[in-house]
Formats: sequence, structure tokens, C-alpha cells
Amino acid sequence: MDPTARLGPAQIGVLVPLAVATILLGGIYALISVGLTLIFGIMRVVNFAHGEFLMLGMYLAFWTFFAFNADPYFIVLVAIPLFFVVGLVVYGLVMRGVIHASHNVQIFTTVGLSTVLQNVALVAWSGDFRFVRPWHLSTVVRAGATTFNLTQVVASLIAVTLTLALVAFMKWTHAGRVMRATAQDRDAATLMGIDTDRVYRLTFAIGIAAVGAAGVLVAPLYSVYPTAGLQFVLISYVVVVLGGLGDMLGAMLGSLIVAAVEVGGSYLFGAAWKEIFYFLLFILVLVFRPAGLFGQRGAETLGV
Amino acid sequence: MRSRRGAFLFFGLAALIPLVVRDAYFLDSLVLILLWGALSAAWNVAGGYAGQVSIGHASFFGIGAYSAALMVTRFGLGPWLGMLVGVVLSIGAGFIIGFLSNRLKGPYFALSTIAFSQVLLIGVSRWRGFTSGGEGIPVPFRPGFATLGLGHVGWVYMALAMALVCFAVQVYLERSRIGYQLAGVREDEDAAEALGIATRRLKVAAITLSAALTSIGGSLWAQYVGFVDPTYVFSVDLSVRFALNTIIGGMGTALGPFLGSILITSLETYLRATFAGVKAGFTGIYLIIYGTALILVVRFVPEGLAGITTRLRRAHA
Amino acid sequence: MPRFIFALVVAVLAVVVGGELAPVGGQATSGEYKIGVLEPITGPLAFEGKRHVLGLEIVRDLINQRGGVMGKKLVFAMADATDPTAAASEANRLITREGVKIITGTFSSRLCGAASEVAARHDVIYWESSCVDPRFNKRGLKHVYRTEIDATGFGWYNIDFIAKHLAPRLNLRPNQLKIAFLSEDSSYGQGVTESARQRAKGEFGMQEVMLEYYNWQTLNDMTPTILKMKQLNPDVVHHISFSNDGVLFWRQAKEQNFLFKALVHAGATGYGSSDFGKALGNDANGVFALLEPGPGFRLEALKPEGQQIEKAFRDAVQKETGSYPLGAHQLAGSGLWLLKLVLDKAQSDDPEKFRAAVMSLDLPVGSMINGWGVKFSELGQNANDRVQHYMLQWQNGQLVTVWPEEFTTLRAKWIPLPAWDQRK
Repeated sequence: MDPTARLGPAQIGVLVPLAVATILLGGIYALISVGLTLIFGIMRVVNFAHGEFLMLGMYLAFWTFFAFNADPYFIVLVAIPLFFVVGLVVYGLVMRGVIHASHNVQIFTTVGLSTVLQNVALVAWSGDFRFVRPWHLSTVVRAGATTFNLTQVVASLIAVTLTLALVAFMKWTHAGRVMRATAQDRDAATLMGIDTDRVYRLTFAIGIAAVGAAGVLVAPLYSVYPTAGLQFVLISYVVVVLGGLGDMLGAMLGSLIVAAVEVGGSYLFGAAWKEIFYFLLFILVLVFRPAGLFGQRGAETLGV
Repeated sequence: MRSRRGAFLFFGLAALIPLVVRDAYFLDSLVLILLWGALSAAWNVAGGYAGQVSIGHASFFGIGAYSAALMVTRFGLGPWLGMLVGVVLSIGAGFIIGFLSNRLKGPYFALSTIAFSQVLLIGVSRWRGFTSGGEGIPVPFRPGFATLGLGHVGWVYMALAMALVCFAVQVYLERSRIGYQLAGVREDEDAAEALGIATRRLKVAAITLSAALTSIGGSLWAQYVGFVDPTYVFSVDLSVRFALNTIIGGMGTALGPFLGSILITSLETYLRATFAGVKAGFTGIYLIIYGTALILVVRFVPEGLAGITTRLRRAHA
Repeated sequence: MPRFIFALVVAVLAVVVGGELAPVGGQATSGEYKIGVLEPITGPLAFEGKRHVLGLEIVRDLINQRGGVMGKKLVFAMADATDPTAAASEANRLITREGVKIITGTFSSRLCGAASEVAARHDVIYWESSCVDPRFNKRGLKHVYRTEIDATGFGWYNIDFIAKHLAPRLNLRPNQLKIAFLSEDSSYGQGVTESARQRAKGEFGMQEVMLEYYNWQTLNDMTPTILKMKQLNPDVVHHISFSNDGVLFWRQAKEQNFLFKALVHAGATGYGSSDFGKALGNDANGVFALLEPGPGFRLEALKPEGQQIEKAFRDAVQKETGSYPLGAHQLAGSGLWLLKLVLDKAQSDDPEKFRAAVMSLDLPVGSMINGWGVKFSELGQNANDRVQHYMLQWQNGQLVTVWPEEFTTLRAKWIPLPAWDQRK
């Protein structure tokens, strides 16, 4: 019998650190998921290789740290354009051909891509665990009795900034409106003269840039190894499904919910069960509200 | 009707080889080709014939493997009974997945199957008291048919029998009325529904059948390899392997899974044996090859190897 | 295009099948003695597997410099055990194609279980140097031997240390100690933790205040667990970690100002890996890890033969990797050295003569590279009390050997652990 079962959640002293942990963890999840929801929402493609691009971002942080002692916060500025280009290339080589194909083709194309990327990393860099340890890894910010880990705080802030920037981009720029139009109705968009191929290319590139940058930012917090993406990819899907396809603010809220489930579940029932909680959450949402908690009813017209 | 020459050739060879070749390593490779082929064929029932692509079939494999291992080690009742238990449990799990397939489409469904297999992995890893948790279960080898303690030749025939069963199931699906209805569900579910086909029930039936067969394969595997480890038997890698073999070989064809298995399993065994001495771990390269092959095949050669041979045969006809 | 693909596939198959059918040389040319080496060279466990291989190769060279085994040069037939299926398959290949009579390896329980079954079926000797599954030699297989103690041994030693060394220095009787168990959930973590729990409660009556397992791969935040532990207020934390989870726990424990008297781990992963020190520098100070001996090891405590080999081994590893031999190197290496001792005594690889030689070995602690002694049980298991394990502690950003005190020059510090910023 778990000896902590006699503890209830009623101690206020614990609620504050738990809440802080939730927000910071949610920030990281949001950062990783925002690119995914963009791609998912506009292109209607499930990118099973999403975690691998995150992993590549982590390796970028590692190698630059190893070779130049470069700080990840600086490398992020390099990562964004670099991964944007990577996204363009991958789109051209792999994704463009399968955009109009059936689900199966899309699924296995990205599964294949995931296998390729994982093993390229494995063969090139071996399976050893690498670590990025900048000087500020253990730095904490104190506010009263609560401590905030600096790296996590920065990651969360950047997540918020990035999301807001993307939301603004989607809402107020011409390109953004074009992307949204394409998402709503691909055929109508084509009839209106929108070059959907260009839209998808841009979307994919932005999405990959976002997740690549995320990888750079979270690298100091975790180990870097070829299958590191697996750690986050399923969580990202839960977040995206919860928040609704393509809804970036929804993804932020979804991240908080997932983080809360994880943190609360770990505290109350033990860390062993937290994955089960969010998998169950995932399945429940898929079954009962596939449009997401914040999505519009009927928006789950996947593949249309 | 499709020519069955290829199938006859393949299974015939498999039956004859043990009479001629006594080398245990070659026979072992043959067993693996047949077993992975059979498991891929089982996947094909749901994925290729019914169009329900799952990347979580390791759930059923693991259930079968654990049922056999636990029956033997915990209850002392023999693997055949374990196989039966595994089938029953997998059918139950199949109903759950079937239910999901009726609510979710395409990639959503695939994701939910992954989630399901991971839930099982975690659950089994934690249930130390019953399943030995993360430590896994060593399955003892006791000679005899009842305990599935077969020699190398015996295992070839066992795996062959399993392969034939899975092959026959697929052929049945191709020829029977149920099969035609399933094809309708696969191609255009709404149209099939409009025609009065019980699409929802058919999908669940296909998935549970696929689950049962996969579970049997898992039970056999457990007795053959002798160690059941949760992180392996419920892994996404295994689920992808079943799909990979089938896609490369030809989804929705009866021989396809076996063709895919021949190519992939033998290539993998060969590369691993050849590069074992190389420090750089070059064996990872074959996975890169597989991933690339998957991307290319799925887009440019969707009929797979089976389709190519058909095309070539037609060209010569 | 289809024709091309078809031809390509047929060509590949021809090469592959041809390769499969062609037998590779059986037993080696005269003057050489070949054994099979089965380790995970690819796959998720490759990072340790390749260290085992390095340890084996270095000791093989040392052996050959000293006359080889049974008067012949020792050579390896390598095999890659990526996963359980591959382990069984490759074991098969080593036996039927390479004709080896002895297989050594294999690091992980999931691999050694499958491979040893295959070996047993062919009457081939299985010489295991590091997998820790307690059931390994309890399956009734006759020619299966293990030079390293199993996971239960690690747990056993950890609790030994806690009860006999830490408790007195904390002015507590063992049955007054409150101990919290935290662990990653692989077979290793579970094996060590469960055996530690048993001994802690059963033999010493320690009070277990918490038991939690987690999956290190999906663990992103330890704060909830730490907050829970703060409420439970343990004296000692027994934490088996794998990789970043150790760093995460320690760093976040500091952030949350979670204070306890000692943390004990076992094994070359997590807290026992050099990365922990690299990640946290002096902040790592104080953590205990049960390992093969490191700096501070009193070589004089070894017997003369042990000292010579130890120095040669250490120099060779230093040259190859630039660091002190890690646990993986030592386990594999000393396993191989022990194999040589047996073969020299038996002068044959006939399973019965081999077994007789194994059982007749009786060397005191201090005779081998890492200070081990040798005495095998009827089940083919080297005894707990001969396979001396050592407790190391992070001091000044380095892992140094501090216990048992007759083997070390350094001493354990910070018992109990002072406030976080006072551990210099």
C-alpha cells in the first residue's frame, strides 16, 4: 500500500510549487507542440517524425556547445532559420508527394522518415547519451519561498512569445490569412487562386523551425540521444488533440492541462502512473471530443 | 483468380529445406522469416484487407507472449493453454481497438493504437507481482510438443503451419463474400454503408481476427526465443515491423507479407552477422535503408513486391 | 522500373542467402582458441555494450601477452545482440557457424536469458559477466556461469553500507532509519530496489516511507515526487537512476531545498556515471554510488597478481578512453580474466572438466583486477561476499572510493548531508 495515500492534496504549502511546476512544464510542452499543431492544422498531416526534428534540434545544441561552448540561448537564433531551411528541404523531398495521397501513405511516409532520422543520428553520433550543460543550468530565480529554474522559465517565456507571434502572424498577415483559408477549405482556396503548394511549404517550414528551436531550448534539461524524440512526441499529440487542430492558443491550454495531469497524477498516485493518465486522457478526448476541448464541433473533418 | 504459383513455390521450398539443410543457423533464419511473415500477414488482415492501419499490433503480440510465458511459469499449465488464453484476451483487446476504429479515422486511429500499446507496456512493467514487471519472464525450454520444446526442424514446421494458417485466412478474405464486403469498407466506407454493408461490425471482426492471429504468433515467439521482456514485446518498433514487411511486400495481398519478410528479415540477419565486428555499429544503416524503402515504396510502388511480380508476369503474358 | 526493382531485390536476396548458406570457418586455425562474444553492439543498449567489448578486447590482449589460454592465442567471434530475438539468433550463429564452445557476454537480462537457453540446448558454456537477473542461474541450466553478482547483490551491498556504515555515523540504529525508495523501472532498477527493500525491512527493520518507480525516458519533471518526499521526511533516499533522471532529481531537490541525510545509488548509470559530475560540478558532492573501484582504491590491498593486472588494465583503458576504467570495462574484463584462469586449470573446454575447474577455484578477495575473489556456488554463481563491491562518493566533482575502509585511502564525508550550499 502506498504510504503516501494518507496524504491529501490539502496542504497549501505544496500547491504553490506544484502550480509553478505545472506552468513551467506546460511551457515546455507548449513550445514543442506549437509547430505540430500548425502543421497538423493546416496541412492535415500527422507528422510521426515530429519528435525526430526535436531530437535534431537537441543535437544542434549539443554539437555547438561541444565544439564552441556556445550557449543554447544564442544557438536558438541560428536554429530558427536553419530548421526553416530543413523544413523546406524535407517538404520538397518527402512531403510534397504525399500531401494529396491517402492517410496510409502519409502515415507510413512519416513513420519511415522517423526511422531514417533516428538511425542517421544513431549511426552518425552513436547511441551515447550527450548532455548540454551551460553555466546557467542550475541557476534559479527566487520569488519569496518559491524557486523557478531559469532554463525552464526561459523556455516557457519563449513558448509564449512564439505562440503569440504565430497567432499574430496567422491573424494579421496576408500569408497567415491565406494559410487559414487553405486549412478551412483546400479546394475553395485553389479556386480562389491560392497556390496551396506554397502554403504547405511555408507551413511545414515554420512548423519545423519551431520544433527545432524547441529542441535547442530544452536540450540542457534532458539527455540528448537518438530516440530522445520519443519522450515528447506522444505528449505533443495529446496536447494538439486536446487543444484542437491548428489552434495554437488551444495548444497552450492543452499543454497546461497535460502538465497538470502529469504533475497532479505524479504527486497523488506516484510517478509510475503518469503516462497512463495522459494516454487515457488522449483516448478519452479522441473518443468523445475529437475536435479538442476548445475546437469547434465538427471540425474533426480530418483528411478532407 | 490470382495465380498461386508464388505461394506454392514459397511454402513448398520452406517445407523442403529442413529435409536438405541441417545447418541450425539457416533453419533459425527460416523460422524467423516464416514467423515474422505470419505476424505481418495477421496485421495485413486488419491493415491491408480492412484498411484499418494500426501501429499498435504489438499490443496483441505482447498479450500472446505474456499469456504463454505466464501459463508456463506461473501456473505450470503449458504454452498451448497460454496461447488460448492469449487469444481470448487479444480478442477482448481487439474489441477495444475495433471500437476506436469506428470512432477515429486514419492517423488518429493509428495514434490511438500506439497509445494503447504503450498503456499495456506500462501496466505490465508495473505489475511486478504478477508479470515480474520490468525484469521480464524467462521461458524454460522443455523438450516435447506439448511444451513447444521443439528442435530446429520442428520449429520450421511449426512456423510454417502458422504461416499457412495466416496465408489461408488472407486468401479466404480475398475470395469470400465477407472479403468483398471488407474490400468495400476499405475502399469507400460511406459507399459501403450506403449499400447496406455492416461496416462497423466488419471492421471490428477484422481487427479481432487480426488480433487473435497476432497473439498466437506472440505465444509461439515466446517459446522460441525464451525470454519475454515488456519493453520489447509491446514496442512500437515491433508494430512497425509488421506493417513494414507487409507494405514492402504488398498490402492487401496474401503473399505480400511473406515476400516482405523474406527480404527484410534475411537482410537484417545478414547485415547484423556481417557487421558484428565493426565498432561503429553500422547495423543501424539497415534501418536507414528500411525507412527510406518505406517512404519510397509507399509512394512509388504501393503494390509492393507482390505487385511488381504481378506486373512483370502480365507484361510477359 | 518494376523490372529494375525486381532484379535488385533478387540480387540482394542472392547475396544474402548465399552469405547465409556459406559456412564461416569453424573452430579457428591451430594455435588460436576462439570464443564467442555476444554483446549489444547496436540497439538501445549499445552504449554499454561497446564498453564491455572494449574491456574484453583489452584483457584479451593482456591474456595473449601472457601466453594466451591453454597455450593458444585467444580470439573472438563477435555477435550483436540488439534485442532478445537477435540474441537468440546470434547465439545460434556463434555455435553453429563459428563453432565456439564458450560464449561470453551479455550485459542485459533480456539478452542473457534468451541466449543462454540456446547455449544450453547445444551444450555450450555460457560465461556471463554482467547481467543481473537473479533467475539467471536458477533455471536448471547446467553450464551457465556468472562472474558478477546479481541485482540482489547490489541491493544487498547498498543496505550493508547503509546499516553498517551510515547508520552509526548518523547515531541511529538501523531500525530507526526512515528510507525512501525511488527507482527507474527497468529490470535493473526493479531488481536492485526490490532486493534492497527486502534486506532493509527483513534483516534490519528499516522503515520504508516510500516506494516509487518511474520511466526514466518519459520523465520530465521530478518536482511532484520531491514535494511528496519532503512531506515524508526520509533519512536516507535509495535512488536507482539511469541517465538524466539522476541529474533532474538532484538539481530539483536543491531547487526545492529538500534536505535528507544521504542518497545511495548502485551501478554505473545515473549517479554512477561521469556525466552526473559534469552536469553539476561541485553540486554533485555527497551522493553515494555502489560501483567498481575508482580513484582512492588502495592497490596495496590487492594481492600481487591482482595488482599487476590491475595496473596494466587501467593503463590500457586510460589510453583508449582517456579515463579511469568504468564499471562496464571492469566487469567484462575481469570476467574474461577469470575465464582464462578456469581454462588454464581445466586445460579443456569440455563442459564437465570446465565445471570441475570452476568449482575448484577458491581465491580470496583482492585477487582480481577489481579486488574480487572467486568462489562459485553449485548453481554457477560467484559468491556475494567474494565479489566485493565498493561504495564511491562524489567529492569535488569526482567519484572516489570510500568504502570498505580497508580498501580505500579516502573516507566518506558529509554524513549527514549539510545544507545544499555547504557541501564543499
